[in-house]
Order: sequence, then C-alpha cells, then structure tokens
Amino acid sequence: MKLERELDRPLWYLLPGGLLLVVVTLFPLGHVLWLSLQRHSLLHGPPRFVGLDNYLRLAGDERFWNALANTAYFAAVSVALELALGLAIALMIARVRRGRRLLYGVILLPWAVPTAVSARMWEWMYDAEIGVLNYLAGTHVNWLGSPAWALNAAIAMDVWKSTPFVVLLLLAGLQGIPRDVYRAAAVDGASGWSVLVRITLPLLAPVMLVALVFRTIDAFRVFDAIYVLTGGGPADSTETLSIYAYKVLFQGLEFGYGSALAVSVFVCVGLAALFYARLMREALR
Amino acid sequence: MRRVSRGARALCLACGAALVAACGAGGPAPGQTVVVFKHGKLFGDPAPLRALLDEFERQHPGVVVRDETLPAGSDEQHQFYAINLQARSAAFDVLAVDVIWVAEFAHAGWLQELTRLLPPAERAAFFPGPIEAVTHQGRVYAVPWFVDAGLLYYRKDLLEKHAFPVPRTWEELVRTARAVMAREPRIAGFVWQGKQYEGLVCNALEYLWSNGGGVLSGGRIVLDTPRNRQALAFMSDLVHRFGVTPGSVTTATEEPSRHVFGQGRALFMRNWPYAWRLFQDPGSRVHGKVGVTTLPHFEGGIPAATLGGWQLAVNRHSRQAAAASELVRHLTSVQAQKRLALAYGFQPARTALYRDPELLAAQPLLQVLERVFATARPRPVTPYYVRVSQVLQSELSAIISGRKSPEAALAAAERKLRKILADEA
Repeated sequence: MKLERELDRPLWYLLPGGLLLVVVTLFPLGHVLWLSLQRHSLLHGPPRFVGLDNYLRLAGDERFWNALANTAYFAAVSVALELALGLAIALMIARVRRGRRLLYGVILLPWAVPTAVSARMWEWMYDAEIGVLNYLAGTHVNWLGSPAWALNAAIAMDVWKSTPFVVLLLLAGLQGIPRDVYRAAAVDGASGWSVLVRITLPLLAPVMLVALVFRTIDAFRVFDAIYVLTGGGPADSTETLSIYAYKVLFQGLEFGYGSALAVSVFVCVGLAALFYARLMREALR
Repeated sequence: MRRVSRGARALCLACGAALVAACGAGGPAPGQTVVVFKHGKLFGDPAPLRALLDEFERQHPGVVVRDETLPAGSDEQHQFYAINLQARSAAFDVLAVDVIWVAEFAHAGWLQELTRLLPPAERAAFFPGPIEAVTHQGRVYAVPWFVDAGLLYYRKDLLEKHAFPVPRTWEELVRTARAVMAREPRIAGFVWQGKQYEGLVCNALEYLWSNGGGVLSGGRIVLDTPRNRQALAFMSDLVHRFGVTPGSVTTATEEPSRHVFGQGRALFMRNWPYAWRLFQDPGSRVHGKVGVTTLPHFEGGIPAATLGGWQLAVNRHSRQAAAASELVRHLTSVQAQKRLALAYGFQPARTALYRDPELLAAQPLLQVLERVFATARPRPVTPYYVRVSQVLQSELSAIISGRKSPEAALAAAERKLRKILADEA
C-alpha cells in the first residue's frame, strides 16, 4: 500500500509538464490528423468527413511526389555536406590555440543572420545579370532560373547557413573527449590518421548523431529559405513539401488536403528521427 | 476548425470580454453606427482617404467610419478575409478585394449582392473588364475602384535612332528587337515577368488572348488548343529561339525587370503602370526616353492586357449593410475616384475620368491607359481561380525554363484543370 503511493507521486509532479505538452503539441497534432480526414476548404462551407480520400489524392498527385523527391534530395545533400564541412572546420578550430573566440564569432555569423535576410542576400548574389557570383566566376549561369541549378543553389545557401551549427555542436563534443586517451595514443606512437579514425570519430559519434538529427529534421521542413529564394520555381524544381503545403493551405485554403500534406512531412521527419534514434542507441552501446 | 473544445471557447470568450472592456472607453456613443472599412496598406499620405471618409460622415450624421489597414501582401490579405469571412465575422463592413477574389468570395457566400449599386445602365460608366470580374452568375458583388493592366514600355530614343516604328504585333516586336540588339550590343530586347508566381500567369494570358486563345470560355476549359499552343510557343521562343529575352526571365518579377529597363539595359518591357512614375524621376537613367503603349498582338488578333486592380465589396455578415453599401457608393463615385487618383496616382475604374482635364493634366499617361483598360481582360473568372493559377504557374514555368514543350504543358494543364473543376462541381 505504502509503496504504491510512493510510486504514484511522480505522476503528479509530471502532470503540469505533461499537460503543457498535450496542449501545445498533442492537441494541434491530433487536430491536423483529424483535419486531414476531412474535405475542408474554406470555400465549401461545412467540412465533411471523407476518410482517407485526401491520402488517396496524395498518392496520385505528381506534384506531391515531385515535392517529396525535392525535399529528400535537399535534405540528403545539404545534411551530408554540412556534416562533412562541419567536422573539418571543427577539427581545425580545435587545433587553434590563439584567437579562438574571434573565430567562433566569425563562424557563427551566418547562423545568426535571419533566414529571410540571408535568402535575399543570396538571391542578389545568384542574380544571373548583376550577381557577384557570375561576376567572380566569369560565367553566365542562371543559378536560380534553371531547373538543373536552382535546387543545388538553395542547398549551397543552406550549407553556408547551417554548417556553423554543426561546427558548434562538434566542437563541444571534441572538448568532451578526455585528453588522456590522446596522450596514451601518442605514447603508443599512433599516427594522426589512426588517432582520428580510432579515437576522435568513434568518441564523437554520439554528438555527430545529435547534429544529424537536428539538421535532418530542419532540412526536411525547409520553407523560408527556398520560398524567398525561388518561390518553388522554376517548373516546381525547388518546390519542397513545406512549400507545396503552404500553397495548398494558405493560398488555396484547402485545409483538409493541406493537412494531409503536413502529416506527410510529419511522417517523413518521424521516420528519420526513429532511424537516428536507433543508430544512437547502437552507438551508445 | 469548427470543433473547438468548450474550454477553448470559454478562454476565447474571457479574452474577448477583456478586450471589449479595454476598448470600451473609445467605443462609439450610443445611437452611433460604426462602419469599418478594411483595405490594404496605401502607399502615401493617409490624409486624402481620411478626408473622403470624413465627408461621408458629415453627409450621414450618426455614422462613424473607421478605416483599418491590412498588410500590403496579397496572400496575407486573402488569408485574412477568407478566415474571417468564413467565421462570419462582422468586425468589418466594407472591404477592398483584388480582382481575382470576387468570384471566389461571392461563390462562398461571403459578399452582399450589390447589383442595386450597379444597375445595367450604370455599368457602362466603368471599363468592361472590371465589370466582368465583379459579376458572378449575373449578379454584381463588388464595385470597381481602381484598375491596373499590362503595358508595353519602349525606348523612344533607341527606336528613333534606328528608325523603327513602335511595334503593333508580336512578330514586329521580335524583328525590331533583333535589329536593334544587333546594333546596340549591351541592350536586351524584351524583358517581362517569368518567375513561377502569379505574375507569370498575367504575362502568359496576354499572349493567349492576343492570339484569340484563352483558358475558360463560358465555364468550359479551352486550354489545349492550336491557338494557345502557338501563343505559348512564341513566348518560349522569345527566350530560346529569337534570343530577345534573356534567360534570366525565369527569375524575374516586376521589380527586377523594372530595374533592367530603368538602367537603360532593355529596349522593350512588359510591366504595370506603376513603373511609369518611377521613370519620370529626373534622376532616372531613362528619364524622357520612355514611351508607353498597348501590348502587341499576333497577326489577326487584338491586343489584350491582363487586368489587375481593386474593388469594394460589402461583408455578407455586416450589421450595417445599408450604411456600408452607401460608403461603397460614395468611395466609388466620380468625385472620390478623381480625388484618390490625384492623391495616390491610382487609375480610376470610371471611364469618364479619362477625359477630365484636371486629372489628365496631372497624369498625361491616362490618355494611353484608357485604350489599354478598354480592352483589358480579367483572369479566368472562377471561384477556383487560386487553384487554377497554381496549375498554370507550374506548367507555364516548365515551358519557359525549357522543361516541357508547350504541347505537353498545355495537355497536362488541361487535364489538371478538368480535375479541379470536376472535383469542385
């Protein structure tokens, strides 16, 4: 009897936090799920329950598949580049002895600029006529205006903007690796390469996974950067799931179908998160 | 959206009550009627509009008009109106609506019928395009306020220097542009708006219409036709075959094309009337060198500009319907449109004002614009315009960026539009 009461107690302590979670996370999520099962367009008066109709429409919507492919490509390439670059920069900074604070500041700058502002800045740099990029490279590439380049141009901007975040996380991880391990390696006469591959990277893996999770989730939801840069064009070549969902929800005012699109983003991000969580568990073991 | 829990409702009520209590101090005196006029942000001094509203208050004792502005962005305004009107909000009475929203809002039952204000005899006082746009199933749901339409800007000095007339047809425009480009190496031939956005639809419709084509005819889709294919092939050829339009058109909206032309780097430009005023600035590089005329047409077609502009409508759920429609009548009157045109440089929707000596003296461009507006056409008048436009934006962008042939894009667009109309029916 007494033991049971003791166990009951923590539940009460969890209640306020749990309630908050229900109100700000679970309720909206449930509401979106519920909306996605309805035909609910502002133009059509009362909403009507239609079961999985919106999801069937999703399956036959080429624009959805195009957006999904764009999103997956954007997420895979930008996150891979950010991780590789972030690791290289973090390893270099870790060796710097003087002026590290200044370096931190400089490297963090792109991360600190609001996305919409940096997107405008990049739009100007990419401009085919007067952009500084073509001027410096002596080329005439229509960076944002050709379907072959536009998504890659958006990836470059995202890499510029988000690599600092990865650097910061990895630096923190590097500082957490005990010095003794390195000293022992030096005593054993290990080469720089084997120190990196056998000590640094394995011990850094959990932090790298955290960076991966954050960046992948962000990349999958990407909206503002690309919306400002191209609006989804040309020819839908930069239209990501979030941009398509925005067009359906906030321009077309189709809340039912738009919610189904939003749920699809949620499912993708959720699957990615589960996959990483599993990796993380194995890495920690 | 409707199924809000009781708790949430109580919370809203409490907040609402607090707000009402807070605002109570500045509320209307008993017996007063408050009419709220909602419109987009005006660029310029708000005083002239306020003066018109004050005048209305003097003519209608007991009526107070409050004007409230919305953000300038068209998407934001559309969202605001849709969400509030759907929720039967009576918080505003008169609203300014974009030309492409009237059919949508009227179909949804959000606007009061205003046929009374615009009986057939009165309609002749306005340009036909806006009248078509405000008419839904034979009834009028808004009164045209200001109009906008696509124009052809050209460099007078360059045409004179190389002895070319102002082009009347698209073919002539291409010939002239190529000849001038051959002799002026740093000049682009023809700039317009080709980014994937609403403006692209506006541009493309002008080619379709001036070739006798179109999107909808009597509610039927008439997109995949030889005339449309020919018109869009021409639009794509401007970039890919004739080379008179730079490839960067696929990222161009109004302002970038205005910049290129304004820096003297283009011979022709398609844009809206607003650019004219900016070129009149003595500091402009093309000051005194710019001419404006109606857009060209294909051989055998007639020029047709895409219509833009604002109309005034009355909220279906307004509690001050009578005063609200009086306010619409007042603000769209000849006098009011003239004063607002003088103050803000807007183009009035009433044709009589284009022969008003005072207005013509202030804005000589109106002489040209009268011709343009007389043949300007509204974008497809359908309640599902937003969805139609989204399909067109994507397919048109595929054409000019070289991803699809006009044939393939038009066939795909026709198929998708059929689906939308069938889905909505």
